[in-house]
Amino acid sequence: MTSRFERLLSIALPAATAIAVTVTWQVAVTLADIREILLPTPLAIAGSLGRNLPSFLQQALITGREALAAFTLAVVAGFAGAALISSSRILREILYPAIVALQLIPKVALAPLFIVFLGIDAEARITFAALLSFFPILISTAIALHNTDFAAVRLCRSLGASGWQTFWSVRVPFALPAFFTGARISSTMAVTGVVIAEFITSREGLGFAILDEGSHSRTDAVFAAITVLCVLGLALYGAVKGLEMISVRWYRG
Amino acid sequence: MDTIATNLAEAPDIDRGFIRVRNARKIYAAGDKSVEALSEVNFDVARGEFVAILGPSGCGKSTLLMMCAGLEEATSGTVEVAGSTVTGPHPSIGIMFQDPTLLPWKTVLQNVMFPAHILGQPDSEYRDRAHKLIDMVGLHGFETKRPHELSGGMRQRVAICRALLKDPDILLMDEPFSALDAITRDEMNEVLLDIWHSYAKTALFVTHSIREAVLLADRVLVMTRRPATVVADIRVPFGRPRDMSVIETPEFAKLCAQLRGMIEHGTGKSARRPGDGPVLQPGRHGGEE
Repeated sequence: MTSRFERLLSIALPAATAIAVTVTWQVAVTLADIREILLPTPLAIAGSLGRNLPSFLQQALITGREALAAFTLAVVAGFAGAALISSSRILREILYPAIVALQLIPKVALAPLFIVFLGIDAEARITFAALLSFFPILISTAIALHNTDFAAVRLCRSLGASGWQTFWSVRVPFALPAFFTGARISSTMAVTGVVIAEFITSREGLGFAILDEGSHSRTDAVFAAITVLCVLGLALYGAVKGLEMISVRWYRG
Repeated sequence: MDTIATNLAEAPDIDRGFIRVRNARKIYAAGDKSVEALSEVNFDVARGEFVAILGPSGCGKSTLLMMCAGLEEATSGTVEVAGSTVTGPHPSIGIMFQDPTLLPWKTVLQNVMFPAHILGQPDSEYRDRAHKLIDMVGLHGFETKRPHELSGGMRQRVAICRALLKDPDILLMDEPFSALDAITRDEMNEVLLDIWHSYAKTALFVTHSIREAVLLADRVLVMTRRPATVVADIRVPFGRPRDMSVIETPEFAKLCAQLRGMIEHGTGKSARRPGDGPVLQPGRHGGEE
């Protein structure tokens, strides 16, 4: 009984919060007579969303495709980096400080360099977003690969398993939960990375749409585009979460 | 194993020293100090013999077992198995650890088959044997369960099957039942006695339970903390097949009392044979913390 009540609460409370904020927003803006150009009402945003939906969906497709590509790249780079770092002490000493140093640079500051190196096409945006988002996967996976249950590694050793066999049959499965924790964070960062890159290269995508509508003072459309962006980010996050749940079911049985 | 077969033909006395430990020492460096985990251990285990290493925790008995398994290197001295010096893990040795170490994403059957999987051998070769072992330890019907669905005793049963899958010549056990409750522990001892009837291998069993050592073994090696070495080598007078009923006999109680005395006083004088060499260092035994 309690658990059903709690489950209901965990859906009802966030929903109620969202509704309360939206209603307060609508009422406050109307009563205070704030100009539409500064802060449009939720209803105005919804109207703009309705009008611009076909165009925004097209932009979302571009942004989504690039974010997915960037995220895939981040997964591959993050996992490969984690494997390298955890496999040998020498590699760890060589790579780890460099990777941490890279994290300390505000990567937005690097975005203009990417345009110099790679131009203003999708490759530049994807590479930038991948660079922005690979770190959480790398760090959480590397730690998990390195700290695999001692007993399981000893078992492999006693069976004469090679390092490669131990890696794939024990270390990787043990690291899966940590990998997914990193991947969930990375997925949101990949979307952020693509939008930042679109701000700079400014030709297409939701980031471009937000900038374009903003420069024409169509604040309601800016908010509408941001709403679409939220949905896009949630979709990617949800997909990763779904894969995580499948892997957890496989892991726990 | 090929090597073992050849060596046997050349040197029949290998049967008497199937496991042969000579002057084995282990010293760990701890900061700028060094800790002697094991000092000058000597013993032989004959083929087919079940030997228990009995001692208090921290006396180095697990270190000694890991050396026999090839998972720890001796600082000096040698460990020989079937006539060849142990330099690393050996395929003809099966090991049971204190922790069952089952892989949580694998089923019971897959866990038992894991050694074959690591060796890259086809499943078909070992599947029948795996099923037979699972039946023997009483886990029939649990083949597709995952470790988290099993009790502690059942998990250790799976670990026994896994250790026996490759039909090893030697079974090494490192306090395999010490994490179990007393009732389950008795059950597991019974399972092990049963297995011994059908699989009579050479076994080295580390334990800190006097009762368990006497119940299971043909010989008990007593280890003490200071010095960290074997101080007594006691033959257990019970034959085989053996079952739990020996516990009720007066001989059992007497032997247990004798062993308890040895561990408490850190001496094995009464049981030492001539020619064993000096293992007692005067003034260093007794007064355990």
